[in-house]
Parts: sequence; structure tokens; C-alpha cells
Amino acid sequence: MSFIKVDATSDFSFHNLPYGIFSTPDNVKHRIGVAIGDQILDLSVILSLFRGPVMSKHQDVFDQPTLNAFMDLGYEAWRETRKTLQLLLSANESTLRDDVSLRSRSVCLWMQKSIVHRLTQSLLGDYTDFYSSRDHATNVGIMFRGKENALMPNWLRLPVGYHGRASSVVVSGTPIRRPSGQMRPDQTRPPVFGHSKQLDIELEMAFFVGRRTQLGEPIPINKAHEHIFGMVLMNDWSARDIQAWEYVPLGPFLGKNFGTTISPWVVPMEALLPFAQPNTLQDPEPLPYLQHQDAYTFNINLFVSLKGTVHQVTVIQSTYMYWTMKQQLAHHTVNGCNVRPGDLLASGTISGPDPESFGSMLELSWRGSKNIDLGGGETRTFLKDGDEVTITGYCEGDGYRVGFGPCVGTILPALQH
Amino acid sequence: MSFIKVDATSDFSFHNLPYGIFSTPDNVKHRIGVAIGDQILDLSVILSLFRGPVMSKHQDVFDQPTLNAFMDLGYEAWRETRKTLQLLLSANESTLRDDVSLRSRSVCLWMQKSIVHRLTQSLLGDYTDFYSSRDHATNVGIMFRGKENALMPNWLRLPVGYHGRASSVVVSGTPIRRPSGQMRPDQTRPPVFGHSKQLDIELEMAFFVGRRTQLGEPIPINKAHEHIFGMVLMNDWSARDIQAWEYVPLGPFLGKNFGTTISPWVVPMEALLPFAQPNTLQDPEPLPYLQHQDAYTFNINLFVSLKGQDMAEAATICRSNFKYMYWTMKQQLAHHTVNGCNVRPGDLLASGTISGPDPESFGSMLELSWRGSKNIDLGGGETRTFLKDGDEVTITGYCEGDGYRVGFGPCVGTILPALQH
Repeated sequence: MSFIKVDATSDFSFHNLPYGIFSTPDNVKHRIGVAIGDQILDLSVILSLFRGPVMSKHQDVFDQPTLNAFMDLGYEAWRETRKTLQLLLSANESTLRDDVSLRSRSVCLWMQKSIVHRLTQSLLGDYTDFYSSRDHATNVGIMFRGKENALMPNWLRLPVGYHGRASSVVVSGTPIRRPSGQMRPDQTRPPVFGHSKQLDIELEMAFFVGRRTQLGEPIPINKAHEHIFGMVLMNDWSARDIQAWEYVPLGPFLGKNFGTTISPWVVPMEALLPFAQPNTLQDPEPLPYLQHQDAYTFNINLFVSLKGTVHQVTVIQSTYMYWTMKQQLAHHTVNGCNVRPGDLLASGTISGPDPESFGSMLELSWRGSKNIDLGGGETRTFLKDGDEVTITGYCEGDGYRVGFGPCVGTILPALQH
Repeated sequence: MSFIKVDATSDFSFHNLPYGIFSTPDNVKHRIGVAIGDQILDLSVILSLFRGPVMSKHQDVFDQPTLNAFMDLGYEAWRETRKTLQLLLSANESTLRDDVSLRSRSVCLWMQKSIVHRLTQSLLGDYTDFYSSRDHATNVGIMFRGKENALMPNWLRLPVGYHGRASSVVVSGTPIRRPSGQMRPDQTRPPVFGHSKQLDIELEMAFFVGRRTQLGEPIPINKAHEHIFGMVLMNDWSARDIQAWEYVPLGPFLGKNFGTTISPWVVPMEALLPFAQPNTLQDPEPLPYLQHQDAYTFNINLFVSLKGQDMAEAATICRSNFKYMYWTMKQQLAHHTVNGCNVRPGDLLASGTISGPDPESFGSMLELSWRGSKNIDLGGGETRTFLKDGDEVTITGYCEGDGYRVGFGPCVGTILPALQH
């Protein structure tokens, strides 16, 4: 229990303690914060309190404008830091609790209008998107290739993924402009240029890499946890018409890289581990480099809602993933590809077996063949200008939650040409 | 003409003046240099000499450990800087020529063993690889799909590209380890794990983006030159067996991201413009957002040589030219940003494998050996289909002027054996 009171339905319980980067109107310096209830603990103010054997030599990482130096320190540093935070915020510990001056300088109210989230400055280099939900891949396959060829032969053998665009990963709250581009809606006619008419969402989660590796040095799967720092929610906005015309044979490109939104708080893996459950049974059994037995599939409730609607568009559990994050990271580096702190690896659209658990409008409307009912007479196939899409998620504990904050974006009209 | 003498066959004539990042054994600080002949001009030492209307306010960019701040300043800054460099290095200008102290502190001999090239630190964010050589795309298509379906329907309509991995772009001289991974050599049997047996090269060129854009703001094609800073050579090493098993439907991934090599000096576009020639005729005509008339196809001679461990000398296996490209860099950049995708200084956009119409101009061993069906002759009894451990591949390139060259330096990598499992 913390001396800071937290509502039972707050994402930011004492069991969470996620990291973010923020600035305020009175202090524009980008700094590292930890969310607790409706407050932020400013680590740059209390960095001298991190006195454990590992962090006492690295307090300066908390004075940085990004999380990368901290993440690069590795697993023991993250564990020790979390223990220190739990101590400092504990109801039984006076260091911060009773120091009125320190508390007033380090703890501030997180009123969403005044806090500016700066997390994506931590996105140094590379963003990879996987495709690891079996239901999603199957649905898309059925829609485009028919039932017999739904899943490609490689899908059950390796976690299929592709490189995404890092520059256009933005933090929750950033408006997303409807893209224009080349499309070929009628295969019998030449392609045309115009604004996308099939703007879609993709509900995903993503993890940040912590400690870096050298080029040529794979991460063995039993060491993967030493490099997986924590998670965020993601909306991998997609323009299906642009994507369909461009993606053969080299994969999705402009249909994706006009914008990708992530939530502002990175939830450390230690906060999620209590919600781990046995991994999805894999058949055929993957090759040895992809095998691990420990539970690394997480029971995280996920919700997508479209503003003004009565119903939530979809409700999902991230346990629906077929491939685990350890398998994704081991696969990604097995050829010697190097990773760096701040690299982002996303899960791919998360869909479950039921239609109410599909993570994209492509699936919910079954390629535009049926309407998604939003309640109150509103329906959609794809997104309209002005639509505000909110992804939320949390793990449900006993009287508390470990959640991610909002992952929001509003669609702006396409530029006029 | 410069007061620094440059050989007629040097890549680094007075007409070039490429930028790089280097450090030396006696001074490990990463700093910006300009190559001239066999010398480097250290811009961090002479930054106060950039006194033009633009750069006088931004001299600090030359004290940075990367090129990014300089590149972000944009087109007018690059032009003015080049003019200043041409003046300072001119045989007729005494400022640097006659100042013995300044010259000894700012100009040093570029002996390859002591200069450490640090250019890839400038690679901030994103690397995109295009596929813009018609001959290459056609060859690959014929090999895998047959003549009638060689080119996909979108190839002649838009510059097809995909995102690459930025973390594994390395500078010339970095060893490249043969990757291991999952493959399915026999489609009737399950996939296997092992080291790649089809390790290949890809001769490419790439340009660095200079000035950044905001998300949501496309670059109109008539403004593309304001964002294209300069070029390097590239070897997009590829593991064909890993690539073949993984790439459907989301594109190449581990078959590419184990390593990509670039040459250490960024040749500014102004140095290349004299070698521009009319663009390849495009049929069908592209959509208006992709149309531009000005010549932006460059006559750059390109060479690939291979030296096996047991070979006394390297053998040239490819003679090609950047002029073979179908899509121009302006078209690639306009396309890449037309949907609002933003670019940042240090972004790298590569051309795709450069192949010409003749077999000796094919830019990959996949094509040179026609998918391993014939041997590439290296002379002295040595042959290859794909790379062997110990092979050293060198890509070089230059524009031939009248008694001078504008070249890129070497783009070299040597194959290390795969890790043992």
C-alpha cells in the first residue's frame, strides 16, 4: 500500500509503477516520471534516493530526457529500481512520505491537460511489427485467399514480422491525418490517387527493448527476459486500400507508416508477471531456438471504443496471442540482428475467436460487408473523419488494477489536393 | 583547383568534397570531416571560418559528433557550406593555405588504418529500401514466377519499397557474420535451423535525408531536392534461403537485417549534379505526384569485386551503373511521404539492387549465378554461386569527369563463419 491513495479502478495502482517521459507548462524539461494514482513521481528530483548496489553508480540515468539509458542498464537495474520505488512510496516508509518539501517538489498531480507526454522521444531506432494472433491472421487470410489458404505455411513455424517506420510512432493524443496515396480499387482500371477510404485501426500491444546487444550476437530465448523492459498499448492505424495495392511482394509500407499511436506509460514486465498464464499450445512444435516453457502469456483485458458510441467496439484478451514476446525477440535476433534500448516490438493485431474480439474494423466489418453497430443508430465499416478511437487495457488484480492509460487518436480530414 | 594535390584517379577530387564522421587514435572524439585527396579536413577545427549569411549563425553544427544537425539545416546551408569549402581549399585562397598552424591542426592524412569511420552514428532513425531497378526486379521475377508474371502489376506504377532495419547498418570495414536462421530448402519436409547457405550481396546506392518534415506533411516532388542531402554506396547483404521462407506476406526481414554496409563518405548532391542525365522513360506515365522533368538520373560507374581467402587478387564480378534506375530519388522521396509519413535527418533511403540489361551488370550473385544454376568465374579456377566464409566483397563507384573523379571510397565487408550451435 502506498501513502498515495489510489482508486480501485485506477490503472496506476501501487502494483504498477509504470515509467513515462513528461514535461509541464512550468517546466518544459523532458524528464522521467512514474505514475501512481493521479500523481506523477518525478525521478529527476529524487535520483539521489536510488542507493542500491546497482543504481547508486548510475543515478544519472534518472536525469535523462529519455528512458533509454535506464533501460540499457538491464534486468538487475530495473528490479532494484522497482524495489526502491516500492519502498519510497510505501505507506510505512517516511523518507518521501514525511518530507513535505521533497514531496512537493517530486510529486505532482497528473492532470491530463497539463502533462505533456514525451515517451516517443525514447524511440531511438527501430520498430518491428509482428503478426502473432492466429485468429487475426486466419481472418485476414480467409478474406483475401479463402479458407483453404488462410494461413501461409510459415505462420505456424516462425513469428512472422516486418520492419515498421519509427519516425511516425507518436504518443497518445497526437491527431492522425487521413492519408492520401495510390490505390487501385478497380483492378480493370489504372491506379488512382486520392485519400484513403478504408482507414482502419489495429489493436496491438508492444514491448520496449531494454539492454542492447551487439551485431552478430543472438539473444538465446532463456535470456530474452533480460532485454524485455515493459509494455505499451498500440494502435497500428492502417489504410487498407493503399496497403492492398503496394504490399506485394515487399510488405506493408505507406498503408502503415503515416502514423502509429502508443500509450504514454511503459508498464514494467515485473508488474505484469503476476498475470502470466500458460502459453498457447503450439502445434507443430517450434524449432528448439523458439522453445520456452515458462508462462509468458499475459491476461490483459483490452478495449477499443469509438467516441460517442454506446458500445465498445471490441473487447479482447491479450492471451489470444500465439507467439510470445520471448519467441519474437529470440527469432528477431537469431540471425545476429542487434537490438538497442528504445527499440519497439509490436504484437500484431490482437483478435480472439469471437467476432466481438476482433482487433480491426477490417475484421469487425468483414472487409466492409457488414456494418459495425456503434449504438444510437451509428454504424461504421471504416473510420470517418473526426472519429476518436481509444484503446485501453488493464490486468485485474484483487482490488487493484495494473493498466496502461489511454491510447487515443482522432482522425483529421485528408489534405486537399 | 585545390592547394592540396589530388591524383586524377582519386575519388576525392576538389569537385567532390564529401562529408564523413571520423576519429583518430590520438583524438577519439567523433567529428565531421571532408575528404580531399588522401587528406581529411576537420571541420570542428575550422568552424569559425563558416561566416556566410546562413552558417554564421549555425557554426556549432560542425562541432557535433554526427552530421544530423548540419543536414537538418537544409538546402541553402549545404550550398553555402560547399562554397565556403571550395574557397578555403582553393589554390588561390590563403586563409587555410598559408596558415601553417591552422593547417596542421585541421588537415590530416587519411591513412585508412588510423582513421576510424563513424558515419553510421548519423543513422538516427529509419532506413528504407526500394526496389527500383527494372532489370533486377524482372530477373528475380523470372527466376521465381516465370517470364509472364515477372513484374508485379504495381512495379511500373509506384516505387515499391519496404522498411529496413536501421540498427544493423554498419560502415565499410565492419565484418559481416554469416547468419543462421530458419529455412525450408525442401518444401516436402519441415523447416530446419542452420547457417545460411545462400549468402548474397546486393549492389545499391542510398541517399541521406537532410531537412526533416512534420508528420502529415508530404514533400511535393518539386521540393524533394531540399531534403536530399547526399549519397553513399551500399551492400544490402542477403540470406536468400532465410528470405525465401519468411517473406510471404510481410516482406523481407531476417534475410536482410543481419547486416547492411555503407561507404564512409556522403557525397553531396551538388557534386553529382554535373553527372545527371535524362531520366529513364516511364511507361505507363506515373501519376502526377510522381512526375518531374528535371534530370535526376546519375551516371555513376559501379564495380563489385570479390576476393576469396585463397585468392591472391580480387576479381571483378559486376560492372554496373546507377543510371540503370527506373525510379528517381525524387520520386522515391515524394512517394515515401505522400501519405504524410515524416522524415528526419539521417534517414537513409536505398535504391534497391542495381542491375543493368547485360549479365555483367547484374548486382547480385542470385542473378549472376542465375539462382545457383551457373558458376560465377573468379579466375584461377575459383568460382562461386553464393558467398563463402572469408570472402571479402568491395563495392566502389565514381563519376568520371574531365581529368578528375567524384567517388565514394570503398564499401567493404568480409564474411565471418556462422556461429556454432
